Amino acid sequence: MFKPKTQEQHGLNIIIVGCGKVGATLVEQLIKEGHDITIIDKSPKKIQAITNTYDIMGLVGNGASYSVLMEAGIEDTDLIIAVTESDELNLLCCTVAKQATDCAAIARVRTPDYSREVGYLREKLGLALIINPELEAAREVARILYLPTALEVNSFAHGQAELIKFQIPKGNLLDGMSIAELGQSYTSGILVCAVERQDELFIPSGDFRLQAGDRMSFVAPRNAARPFLKYIGSKTQRVKDTLIIGGGKAAYYLASRLISAGISVKIIEQDAQRCEELSILLPKAVIINGDGTNEELLKEEGLQYVESFVPLTGIDEENILLTLYAKQVSKAKIITKINRITFKNVINGLDLGSVVYPRYITAEAIIAYVRAKKDSMHSNIETLYHMFDSRAEAIEFLVDKESAVTNIPLMDLPLKKDLLVSFINRNGDILIPSGQDCIKAGDTVMIVTTHTGFHDIQDILK
Amino acid sequence: MNSCIIRYILGYILKLEGAFLFLPCIVAVIYRETAGFSYLFVAVVCLVLGLFMTRKKPKNTVFYLKEGCVATALSWILMSVFGALPFCLTGEIPFFIDALFETVSGFTTTGSSILSDIEALSHCSLFWRSFTHWIGGMGILVFLLAIIPLSGGSHMNLMRAESPGPSVGKLVPKLRQTARLLYLIYVGMTIVQIILLLAGNMPLFDSLTITFGTAGTGGFAIKNDSMINYSPYLQWVTTVFMILFGVNFNAYYFLLFRRIGKALRMEEVRCYIIIIVAATAIIAVNTYNTALGAAGTIRHAAFQVASIITTTGYATTDFNLWPEASKTVLVFLMFIGACAGSTGGGVKVSRLVVLVKSIFRELRSYLHPNIVRKVKLDGKPVDSGTISAIHVYFFTLIILFALSLFAVSFDGHDFITNFTAVATTINNVGPGLGMVGPVENFGFFSPFSKIILTFDMLAGRLELFPLLLLFHPSIWRDMSTRRLKDSRKAEKKLAAH
Repeated sequence: MFKPKTQEQHGLNIIIVGCGKVGATLVEQLIKEGHDITIIDKSPKKIQAITNTYDIMGLVGNGASYSVLMEAGIEDTDLIIAVTESDELNLLCCTVAKQATDCAAIARVRTPDYSREVGYLREKLGLALIINPELEAAREVARILYLPTALEVNSFAHGQAELIKFQIPKGNLLDGMSIAELGQSYTSGILVCAVERQDELFIPSGDFRLQAGDRMSFVAPRNAARPFLKYIGSKTQRVKDTLIIGGGKAAYYLASRLISAGISVKIIEQDAQRCEELSILLPKAVIINGDGTNEELLKEEGLQYVESFVPLTGIDEENILLTLYAKQVSKAKIITKINRITFKNVINGLDLGSVVYPRYITAEAIIAYVRAKKDSMHSNIETLYHMFDSRAEAIEFLVDKESAVTNIPLMDLPLKKDLLVSFINRNGDILIPSGQDCIKAGDTVMIVTTHTGFHDIQDILK
Repeated sequence: MNSCIIRYILGYILKLEGAFLFLPCIVAVIYRETAGFSYLFVAVVCLVLGLFMTRKKPKNTVFYLKEGCVATALSWILMSVFGALPFCLTGEIPFFIDALFETVSGFTTTGSSILSDIEALSHCSLFWRSFTHWIGGMGILVFLLAIIPLSGGSHMNLMRAESPGPSVGKLVPKLRQTARLLYLIYVGMTIVQIILLLAGNMPLFDSLTITFGTAGTGGFAIKNDSMINYSPYLQWVTTVFMILFGVNFNAYYFLLFRRIGKALRMEEVRCYIIIIVAATAIIAVNTYNTALGAAGTIRHAAFQVASIITTTGYATTDFNLWPEASKTVLVFLMFIGACAGSTGGGVKVSRLVVLVKSIFRELRSYLHPNIVRKVKLDGKPVDSGTISAIHVYFFTLIILFALSLFAVSFDGHDFITNFTAVATTINNVGPGLGMVGPVENFGFFSPFSKIILTFDMLAGRLELFPLLLLFHPSIWRDMSTRRLKDSRKAEKKLAAH
């Protein structure tokens, strides 16, 4: 009954500093993976609230202080994650922790000033990971704007492959087609990984029949997605212009990305001083000083005519309202950023189209790292992505040596149910595997599955 | 209110009790006593009922503080009712009210008995009586938390409802691990004491039962005259262990992980030791007896002080015959009680420290009306919510005490008897003064008074509010009327998602 601690049983000891949106999401996700978590925050109220909901230990204090970290048990800690408001505090936390013990450290750094020097900071301070939710969110928004038919676009294998989610419109070629038929009529490498119909999620087999209204996710090599979408009769050209509401960090990252890709950007920001800053930082963007929630202003700035609209204010409710309003008055591609609120069912019911959750993006990056750290004997997790409200996971594994899964044709491997080997990346070539293909050492392999908690490529076997 | 999860937890409690009831059966086999069949019968009944109640796992396993409190209070009541059955079945305690009093006194680690001749009981009954102390000391729900995997973080609410002290914290991030650590320390210290008692030539059965009583800070002895006839060595061992079990278990956790400095810095533990030393000194001087000599006087004083402050209730001498000043000190100690997070009862030293400090703060605020000053414990500010909770707790205790005293007074016994009887039960001590002194018993009270005192013991052990919450009308409404419709609806909804 009173066994000593073992690794498999308990997972890692993790300290999280900062109990904001990202901190709370991390707790929620990491507790599911069975880790021992201690959270540190200055606000007793926040600590009280989170320790009442989750089975974790809370500590009130300054996470960068050595004595507080000692009290949290930094000596036996495997990983410290600093996600407070302030970048400087996060970096200091990690530095102090690294001095106290040999643990891995992850810091959130999101100010553009530092984000250009991420590589330098990471190396010099010996951090395992520097995360920047705003930048990640901007990247995701940009990917969708390049391919506006899609609801979500995620990149794998260093951008070589993409996982694209889109909704099958009425009367589409795919309506009523089975996966096997699709494979016969359109042969160049795409693979349907998962389909969501009403509230149910399927990992489809060959005889699965698609229907209009299904949200399907498919994997394709970087240049194969566009031809496929064109083939089934969807628009594939990227947007020409975009209107962004709110001039925060995410807006800056997004605008600078879009501008360098040749998309014209207009930003509406309320704070005059921030407008001036933005106009210096982004000389090519049109910066408008005004209230983005003002209907007249939106009309004046041509909401009806823009091809895409991205509300990025700090207030989720405003973003949602703006999206609903924009859906009424224009045909633009709309992407909604939701930071904080948790009524996911309600949000799904609103049919907002593309929704980006920066906090989940961050959590995924960290969980991928944590899982790889927990079991890095045979393979490493390169990327992890939660699909369809965490009901399925897309995981990219690096297979660095021979094991039970290598050099056997996939059709002969005893794979678990509800699992799909989606692509094999061999020296940069994306291979959409058939039954005859086999996994080799040195590949990275993407798996889509409704099972959770895979750490290792071996987990795909029964 | 999620009544499914409450049913589920109660079912588990019954299964656990069923398992525990096999222990007296083993004792009965060893001593070849027929009373064992009663225990076997009740054990089987508990197991069957428990299995029946846990057959269906509730879909919605989330529960909040109120469910935690209700589940805890009901668990203790249920456990006591079933624990009392064997006494009735064996015929050793024929009246159910008496048996219930005895069992509640066991589980709540009070140690007040209604039996006039303890030595007449069978060995298995004596064992069960003492073993209830051991279970009740650390708490059955904490035990439950240590062994069954309940998912989610809301189970902190169970521990919060059962563990004594103004604010309950965890030792390690996982609740289950915390509960296991607590029991690990508890079991470890129990074993050490058994070994030390055996080393002093105490028979195995005696050392087991005495240790259970000490560990849970209970106080059921297996001799009519408590511990009077044991050797000075055994009395000293018991004294030390009573004090040790009254210390906040967090201190042992710190010691275990070599953070001795942190353990020594615990303000509560220091105050607790100071109070013990001071009380012992006063009583030793006050009761100095040339026949016993200095060593004997100090031994008796220390034993009685440790026994009362940790709310154990063993006695090595009839302190009812002591001078008034010493008796008064003992009554004070009853209310002070042990440390928070220990197995002892009473108001708890940490609450007392906060209460005293808030008196000084109040005085200062008369001198400087605009002063900003926080009450601190262990060098950290205590938040105002906790302070007001402590004040309310203390006041509620006084009200409950007064009402009980009034109810018991109808029996027509003298004031000292009534006063100390209520004080000793509400603080889970055991013996009182007057007619309920250390060598007397509670058998002479009327059934009504016994019910009142039984209630006081439960209220005292669960720190009042979880038990009082049961009497709140909204809880009844939730449990009965809306229960069926709402919970089914909610479960369906959850299942649909």
